[in-house]
Amino acid sequence: MLLNKRAERLFVWIFFPLALLMPMFLEQNEYYVNKLTTIMILSIFVMSLDYLVGKCGLITLGHAMFYGLGGYIFVMIAPEYEAVNFWIYTFYICAISATVAFVIGFLVLRTNGIYMIMITLAFAQMTFYYFSDSIDFGGTDGVFVYVKPETSIFGLSLFDLDNPTHFYYLCLLSLFNTLLFFKVLIRSRFGRLVDAIHANPGRTVALGYNIFIYRLVSYVVASALGAYAGYLFTLQYGFVNPSMLSWTTSGTALVMSILGGMGSIYGAILGTLVYEGLHYSLEHLTEHWLLFMGGLIILMVMVFKKGIAGFLEDLLEKRDGK
Amino acid sequence: MDSTLFIVQLINGLQYGLLLFLIASGLTLVFGVMGILNLAHGSMFMVGAYLAWYFVQQTGSFAFSAVISAVIALLIGFIVERTLIRQLYRRNHLDQVLLTIGMIFVFNALQGLLWGNDPLGVDVPQALSASIPLAGIIEYPVYRIFVAVFCVVVAGVMYYVISKTRLGMLIRAGESNREMVECLGIDISRLYTIVFAIGVMLSAVAGVVAAPISSIVPGMGEHILITCFVVVVIGGMGSIKGAFIGALMVGLVDTFASVLVPELSSMMIYIFMAFILLLKPQGLFSS
Repeated sequence: MLLNKRAERLFVWIFFPLALLMPMFLEQNEYYVNKLTTIMILSIFVMSLDYLVGKCGLITLGHAMFYGLGGYIFVMIAPEYEAVNFWIYTFYICAISATVAFVIGFLVLRTNGIYMIMITLAFAQMTFYYFSDSIDFGGTDGVFVYVKPETSIFGLSLFDLDNPTHFYYLCLLSLFNTLLFFKVLIRSRFGRLVDAIHANPGRTVALGYNIFIYRLVSYVVASALGAYAGYLFTLQYGFVNPSMLSWTTSGTALVMSILGGMGSIYGAILGTLVYEGLHYSLEHLTEHWLLFMGGLIILMVMVFKKGIAGFLEDLLEKRDGK
Repeated sequence: MDSTLFIVQLINGLQYGLLLFLIASGLTLVFGVMGILNLAHGSMFMVGAYLAWYFVQQTGSFAFSAVISAVIALLIGFIVERTLIRQLYRRNHLDQVLLTIGMIFVFNALQGLLWGNDPLGVDVPQALSASIPLAGIIEYPVYRIFVAVFCVVVAGVMYYVISKTRLGMLIRAGESNREMVECLGIDISRLYTIVFAIGVMLSAVAGVVAAPISSIVPGMGEHILITCFVVVVIGGMGSIKGAFIGALMVGLVDTFASVLVPELSSMMIYIFMAFILLLKPQGLFSS
């Protein structure tokens, strides 16, 4: 069984059908459809981070670098006034960001623990300042995307990216595929080894495995998916700017992934939903929403250690135990 | 670059580096002794600057503002350590990162609540507002030299305290073996509170002395925090000596980069750091 926890099955069976029907209820309200689309995109980003931090134990504070790169690579390689093919460019962006991740991962993974946190941050800041200062990429204003890609495969066009509802479904599909991909990956032989490395690197080395390769592959895969999320974000809003690369983006994603339940993968969706939901409602209540958000994060670290996914699992296990 | 410009940039670089040391030393001290990575360390820099502004507005005396701001920072450090940081000693770095990100949010929100989001400025204190002529043509402000001297004095005092006093002995002992210090009957949690409060105070004091030479804006804490990370990583986490050397290096690299390669200036220190880490993955003076 791919989904081996009750809480996980429950969540997937409730969330995806609901998400599938959601635009029908929100047909009149484009704002909420857009909001939900952004949550889907962020969930993909947070999920890739969750895999890296929670599953592989590689704590990075520079994941936003790839989120931003996804957008910047697109505006770099795509012609400005011509619709390109979405799927082909997805491939390009993932391939280029994977190459970047390969080089950076090669350097970053030489370190560990606190040093890795900081050097990932340093690389992210490096790209952040590069794009903030560059005249070619519009400095802090970023770059606009004037023409959205078309999505035909063999002449069959399923999605019209200018239509918010279509875009919503594209992101939902992407999220579902990302979840499926990670679940399959974790259950595979590769995933078992990643678990083993996380639990005890020394012993895994003693068993004759080259743990560096496994970590590097994980880093590359997660980074490419992070870039894909950034690409979707850029297409949704029609621009890319350096704030996507900023360290607060990485920090917030970490908070979402912890809130959802570190290492649970599906918790990334929960965490993003709850964080964005709280953000949205607090922002409307008070202009000092940051105070409550900060307080909430502190409280979470203190008492709610395993996140929402951990809480749900405990709840359901307990019921089983009776 | 002619020699006058070179000298001015050299002094600027050293002065900036020394200021960075003041902040980074607290960060590295707290990490070295307690094993805590405090991301909210930069926020205390911001708090220091805002407190200085507030008290200068109220009293008009910079010296008095500096002292009272330092005392308030010490108190904040004490309270934060006793209520929050204390829970984290046995937890992993991830929890520390999260908790201190939460603290950054709270500090930023409080700053907006108390002082608003407009940029503020503090006047250079009257006694130090003069300029001295440098190489005939260029005038160099006395206050900047005061900042540099002040930082050197603080560095000297820190060196003395850590290498010569009983408190310093405990700090060094706590760095190398927590359990053993506890076995010797020393209340390590009290030591931790002291170290954390002092670390936080150093950052806030840096904010106070930096207030007249920089504009006081929201987000200044995060900016300086990241720069201090670079300093501490170059020097080696937990090493005060490393923080000193690293701070001077970063100060000089940053200042000269903005003159020599302006298009890469804000990236230069990160490139420098990546380069150092390639040669020495644990920093220059890792313990």
